[in-house]
Amino acid sequence: MAVACAVIVAGTLLPRAVLAAAGAGSFAGIVAQVQPVVVKLYGAGGLRGLEAYQSGMLISAEGHVLTAWSYVLDTDYITVVLHDGRRLPGQLLGADPRLEIAVLKVDAADLPHFRLTEAVSVQAGARVLAFSNLYGVATGSEAASVQHGVVAAVTTLEARRGAFQTPYTGPVYVLDAMTNNAGAAGGLLTDRQGRPVGLLGKELRDAQQNIWLNYAMPLGELAEAVDDIVAGKARPRGEVAQARPPAEPLTLARLGLVLVPDLLAKTPPFVDDVRPGSPAAQAGIRPDDLVVFVGERRIGSCKSLVDELSMIDRIHSVRVMVLRDQQLLEFILRVTE
Amino acid sequence: MSRSSKGSLIGLAVIVAGTWAVRGWAAEELHALEEQAVRAAVQSVLPSIVRIEAVGGLEKVGDVLVGTGPTTGLVVSADGYIISSAFNFAQKPTSILVTLPGGASKVARIVARDRSRMLVLLKIDIDQPLPVPTSVPRDQMRVGQWATAVGWTYTDSHPNLSVGVISALSRIWGKAIQTDAKVSPANYGGPLVDIRGRVLGVLVPLAPEGQAEVAGAEWYDSGIGFAVPLVEIERQLPRLKQGDDLRSGLLGITLKGRNIYADPAVVAVSHPNSPAADAGLRPGDEVVQINGQAISCQSQLKHLLGPLYAGDTVELVVLRGEERLTRSLVLTDQLRPYEHPFLGVLPVRGLEPPQTVVRYVYPDSPADKAGLQAGDRITSLGDQPAADALALQEQIAALRPGESVEITIDRGGEERSWSVTLGALPSEIPPPLPPAHGPLDAAAGDARPATGLVPVKVPEEPAECSALVPDNYNPAVAWGLLVWLPPPGPLNLEQLSREWGELCRAHEVILLVPQSVDPRRWLPTEVGYVRKAMDQLAATYRLDPTRIVVHGYQGGAAMAYLVALSHRDRIRGVAAVDAALPVRASAPENQPHERLAVYTTLPSESPLVARIQAGIQQLKDARFPVTVRPMEGPGRTLSEAERGELMRWMDVLDRI
Repeated sequence: MAVACAVIVAGTLLPRAVLAAAGAGSFAGIVAQVQPVVVKLYGAGGLRGLEAYQSGMLISAEGHVLTAWSYVLDTDYITVVLHDGRRLPGQLLGADPRLEIAVLKVDAADLPHFRLTEAVSVQAGARVLAFSNLYGVATGSEAASVQHGVVAAVTTLEARRGAFQTPYTGPVYVLDAMTNNAGAAGGLLTDRQGRPVGLLGKELRDAQQNIWLNYAMPLGELAEAVDDIVAGKARPRGEVAQARPPAEPLTLARLGLVLVPDLLAKTPPFVDDVRPGSPAAQAGIRPDDLVVFVGERRIGSCKSLVDELSMIDRIHSVRVMVLRDQQLLEFILRVTE
Repeated sequence: MSRSSKGSLIGLAVIVAGTWAVRGWAAEELHALEEQAVRAAVQSVLPSIVRIEAVGGLEKVGDVLVGTGPTTGLVVSADGYIISSAFNFAQKPTSILVTLPGGASKVARIVARDRSRMLVLLKIDIDQPLPVPTSVPRDQMRVGQWATAVGWTYTDSHPNLSVGVISALSRIWGKAIQTDAKVSPANYGGPLVDIRGRVLGVLVPLAPEGQAEVAGAEWYDSGIGFAVPLVEIERQLPRLKQGDDLRSGLLGITLKGRNIYADPAVVAVSHPNSPAADAGLRPGDEVVQINGQAISCQSQLKHLLGPLYAGDTVELVVLRGEERLTRSLVLTDQLRPYEHPFLGVLPVRGLEPPQTVVRYVYPDSPADKAGLQAGDRITSLGDQPAADALALQEQIAALRPGESVEITIDRGGEERSWSVTLGALPSEIPPPLPPAHGPLDAAAGDARPATGLVPVKVPEEPAECSALVPDNYNPAVAWGLLVWLPPPGPLNLEQLSREWGELCRAHEVILLVPQSVDPRRWLPTEVGYVRKAMDQLAATYRLDPTRIVVHGYQGGAAMAYLVALSHRDRIRGVAAVDAALPVRASAPENQPHERLAVYTTLPSESPLVARIQAGIQQLKDARFPVTVRPMEGPGRTLSEAERGELMRWMDVLDRI
C-alpha cells in the first residue's frame, strides 16, 4: 500500500524536512509498532486449493496467539512464525467453534503483544489498517502485509437468515479493502492509531448481495471466550448473540394463513386463502395480499416467511405488512386461543 | 468470480488552513480530520438516500445470480423521484418497496429507464418534500479528489461507505466517471460523494460493450467502479419524468476498417432511413468533426457520441474529396435493419491471378435478368474495379436491395455493361451446382499438411479437439470450414467421419470438432476456446473466410448460436438442429461486412418448437437470411439427405 500525499497549506508547500519528520501523514510509525504482534501460522492443507497457512496475533507476553478456527489448525503440527523469523511449534489450547476462533500457545517469553482489554471499537467511516499474511506472500522474518481502508459498515452476520454460511452471527466490521483473502483469517485489524480493533474473518460469500464480504470480528466480542480457552474452561458455552427459536413459535396454521404453493426457489409469499375466524382473518388480511414485512424484517419468499415466523413466540403479537393493489397495508396479528 | 486484492494507491489533496499546520503536523491529526470530513460528507447526503427492496422476479439474469438483498437509490426530485441502477431491477421484480431515511416504506413504480447509462427512475407518493442533494458540475471534477461511495444495504439504520478517489473523468465512451472506491451490489444506485457532501454521480455497473442490466457487475469491488455524473442525470430528468425511456443516439453509419483507434471515421454504409442517410452522408465521406470537436479516428467519434441520446441534435463536418460539408442531424434510437443486396452469382474459386469469374447464375436473379452467364469475368461494379470475389462482396455491401448499379463484364475479350436492380439474399437451397473451380495444380508433395482424422492442439485448453481433413485437400483453393459442436454425451469420431467424410470431400470442406471440457455440457465461456481452435486450424490449412459455419444439435446448436453471435467477424453461417436462438438481452443485428446466414430445423413435435419459431422470426426481422427445414415428429439429428442439403446450403455462402 502506498499513500501519496500532496499537501497544500495556505498556498505554499510545507518544507520537505517538516513533512519527513512528521512521516508526511503516513502510517509508517504505527505499522512498525503493530507488526511485531502479528504472526504467520502454518498447518494442515495444501490440497485441492486449500491453503496451509493463515494469520494470528500475540495476546500475551508468554506466547498466547489468537487466530481464526479453521482446517489449517486441524493438525498436530502447527508452526508459528514470529515477526523476527523465529519458528516455534504452536500448541492448540482450545477453540470456540461458534465464534470460529482458536487460541494457540508457543513456548517463549517477553514477546511483543497487546492485551484484549486494550481493544477499541470503531464506527463506520473509521480508517483502519489490516495486518495479515494474505496469500502467504510473507515468509520467514518478512513482515505481514498491511492494507488500508475504511469500515464500510458495522452490522451483524445473521446466519439464520441464510445470507451467510457461518456459525458466527454477532457484530462485524465490514471493510472496504480486500482483506479477507486466502491466508488472511486470524489477522489483526487496528484503528488508524494502531489500537487493536478486530480479528479478520475467513473468506465469506454474502448470499444476499452475491458478493464476497471483507470483514473483521470486534475483539471485544471475543475477549470472554479467549479468557475461557486460556483458563482451560470448556467451550462452547453460553449464548453468542444467537437467537434461539422459541419452543412454540408462530406458524402459518396458527395465524390462519394459506400461501400459494411454494414451487419456485423464491416463490413470492402471496396469500392464497385466509381461514375464517383466524387471527389473519380478524386482522383483515385477504387472499392475493403479498406479505412484504414481518416486524422489521423484509420477507422475500414463502420460505423466508415460514422461517421468520418460526423465530417468533406464539404469545407475541406480530406486525405484518402486505402489498394490496400497490398499497402498503399494516396489520397486527395475535394468536388468542 | 475473481477477487482483487490490490493495495490501494490513494492520492490526497488536502487543503489546510495555515494556522494549525504551523502549530504541529502530526499524521494522526491529518487522518482524524480526513476521517471527520468523509463522515460529514456522507452525513450531509444521507437524507437523500433510500433503501430499495425488490419483491419477486427472476433468480438469475443471464448467468448472473442476482442478489436478494436490499439495494440503494438516490432522491433526485423533491416530489418523489428516485434514481437507481438498472442492475437493482434486472430480476424484473413484481413490486418495488422504497424505505426513506425516516423509516417510512413506500411502494414505488418504475417511471422510465435510461438504457444507455443503465439507470432507472422510480416514483413514490410522498407525505412531505424529499431533500434533493447538490450535484457537482463536471468541470469541477478532478482525478485524484476524494470520492466516497455510499450505499444503504447492510444495516437498517446506517449507510455503508467506501472511500477512494476519482480515477478517471471520462469512461465507457464518455458516459461515466471512474473511482477506486469499492463499487458493488452493496452500493449500486447509491451516490458517489465528494468531500463536501455533494454528489458526483450515481454508482452503476457498466461495461464498454454490452447493454445488459448486469453487464460490468463482474468488476465489483475490483478498484474499477463507475458513476454516472448526477449533473447529466439532472439534465435528462424532464424527459425521464415524462416516462420516456432514453436510449443511445445512433447516426446510422457503418465505418470502414476494423481498427477503431487508428482508422479514420470513413463511412462504409449510410443506413437507409437513418439520420445519416437523411442528411445525405455517403460511403467515402470522412467524419472529421462532431459538435465542434475535431476527430481523427473512429474511437474519438465513439467517445463523443457515447454520452448522447436519441433525440439529441449533432452537428457533423465531413470531408467529401476536397469538399468540407456541415450537416446537422437528430440522432435516432433505432435503425431499420440492414439487409444484404444480391446480384445473383456464385464466383469461381481458386483463381490465379485474383479475379471475379462467374461460376453460376441464379435463375431469375438480377444477374440472370441482365443476361450474365457462367464464365463472364466481372470487371467493375459502379465506378469501382472488382479485384476479386471478396472485394466485390464488400463493394456490393454498401448498396441495398432495390438499388440499381452498373455492372461491367468481360466475355471472351468483349466488354459489356448493364444496369441491374439488386435483390435480397435468398434463403432457398439451390440444386446441385457446377464445380467451384477448374482443374488445380497438384499440391506440392512434402509440404502438404496431414489429412484424415487429425488432432488439433489448442494451446492452454484442456479439451480435446479434432479435425477431419479429406485426402483431396489441396491448398491451391481455399476450403470451407464446418465446425461441429457435439451435443452432450460420448463422442464417436469414427461415426462422424463416416457420416461427413464423403460430403466434405465433395464440397471441399474441413470438419472441425472441438469438444467441451465437461462432456455433459457446453459452457458459454467456451466460445473463446472454439475460436482458438478455428484459428489453430487456419494456421495450417487454407480456409475460405466466406464459408465458415458452426453447426450443432440441441445443446451443441445452442452453443453454435453463441459462438456465431460472439464471433461475427469470423463466422458466416450457423446451422442449428433442434435448438432455439438463445434468449439474449439484445437481439443480434445484421451487419454489412459481417454476413451471417442461418440454417435451422423446425421439428413439429420438439418441445422447443415455439421458441425455435420465435427465434426464426427474430432473425428474419433483423434481415438475416434464414433457411428453415421443417421436420415431422420430435427433434432428431440430420438424415444423410439433409446433411447433403446442408452442404449445398454452405457451398453457396460466397454468393454475391
